[in-house]
Amino acid sequence: MTDIQITKEEIMAIFPKVAEIIAAALPCDLERVKPETSLIDDLGAQSVDFLDVVFRLERAFKVKIPRGKIVKEARGDLSEAEFDQGGVVSEAGLQRLKTFLSEVPPARLSTPLKVADIPRLFTTETFCKMVIRQQRATAAEPPKPA
Amino acid sequence: MNPPTLYDAGLSDGVAIVTGGSRGIGRAIVEMLAAAGMDVDFTYRENAKAASEVVAAGQGARITAEALDVRDATACGAFVEKVVERTGRIDLLVNNAGVIRDNPLTALEEEDVRVVLETNVTGTFNMARAVVPFMVSQRRGKIINISSAAGEKGGRGQTNYAASKGALNAFTRALAVELAPRNITVNAVAPGVIETDMSREVRERAGDEVLSRILLRRIGRPVDVAGAVWFLASRFADYITGEILHVDGGFKME
Repeated sequence: MTDIQITKEEIMAIFPKVAEIIAAALPCDLERVKPETSLIDDLGAQSVDFLDVVFRLERAFKVKIPRGKIVKEARGDLSEAEFDQGGVVSEAGLQRLKTFLSEVPPARLSTPLKVADIPRLFTTETFCKMVIRQQRATAAEPPKPA
Repeated sequence: MNPPTLYDAGLSDGVAIVTGGSRGIGRAIVEMLAAAGMDVDFTYRENAKAASEVVAAGQGARITAEALDVRDATACGAFVEKVVERTGRIDLLVNNAGVIRDNPLTALEEEDVRVVLETNVTGTFNMARAVVPFMVSQRRGKIINISSAAGEKGGRGQTNYAASKGALNAFTRALAVELAPRNITVNAVAPGVIETDMSREVRERAGDEVLSRILLRRIGRPVDVAGAVWFLASRFADYITGEILHVDGGFKME
């Protein structure tokens, strides 16, 4: 899977709406939601909150985001065995994450990183990018027969 | 919504979805919830005539009927979307749609097993999966699954039906754990022998013998079950989750 570049402008264009959705779902004050804010570590989100955030994003942006998509996409072309070595992200996996989660400070992407801890890395920007990817995928789909 | 008084059930103006609401227990549930002031959207599989009778009988009540096969996950999703578009929210889901295809194990056709499990179990999954995201967002909601005494007590010729209802009981307890953090309760009502079209064959086959196994010595009425659903849907049951409420007159298998 090759990642098509997502520009900062594209991200900032939808950021206000995404931030508003995250603040409403958790809930928390809107001003606490910055592009680089980690939902779990900074805002205390739980896994059920992620489902709520994704559900609200789907409705607001009229896109379908398959559950588990973000983790699968994070793996890219790597197989599960290449990526996940006994619950820890492999060296190749880390390199891949540095590209996919370019918004995450590199210091957070160092060994050992548990696979289960990957969602801790997700920031508001991660969700912005997820929406943009899905918008592009939806636009690229051939029209469905009526 | 006005703040409820101490003895107000808190159902008026709520929005409910009831699957399989055109006849029997489902119809009684629809009518009781509508009488309590809820906006009730019920589904039916094929009996459009019975469904329109329920709507017509509920004069002044807010009752809407929609044809839906709960085995179709996409259709369930579309139905729930439609309800939310109209009402803005969902307060209650009653998974009542169910079928029965009794026969001794070796006489069961593959189809008898499949249809019962797909309708009773997969259908419940499909509806819950469509509704839960809205309830999670609302941070409130109630789900009530209509199980059966057969789910725990067995019954000759009911392996498929009993397995489906046992699955619903397990589903109820597991989903209650999952959704409790979001203030959503999940319970089940397990009716015994109730006077409906669906149970007629079972009742005729069992004859009077069945009464000897019911402590209260009578067959239950759909309204007996609907009353339990009303209670679990009400504000009075806000602190109850993961429970299977038996409405069976004290049914004993011997």
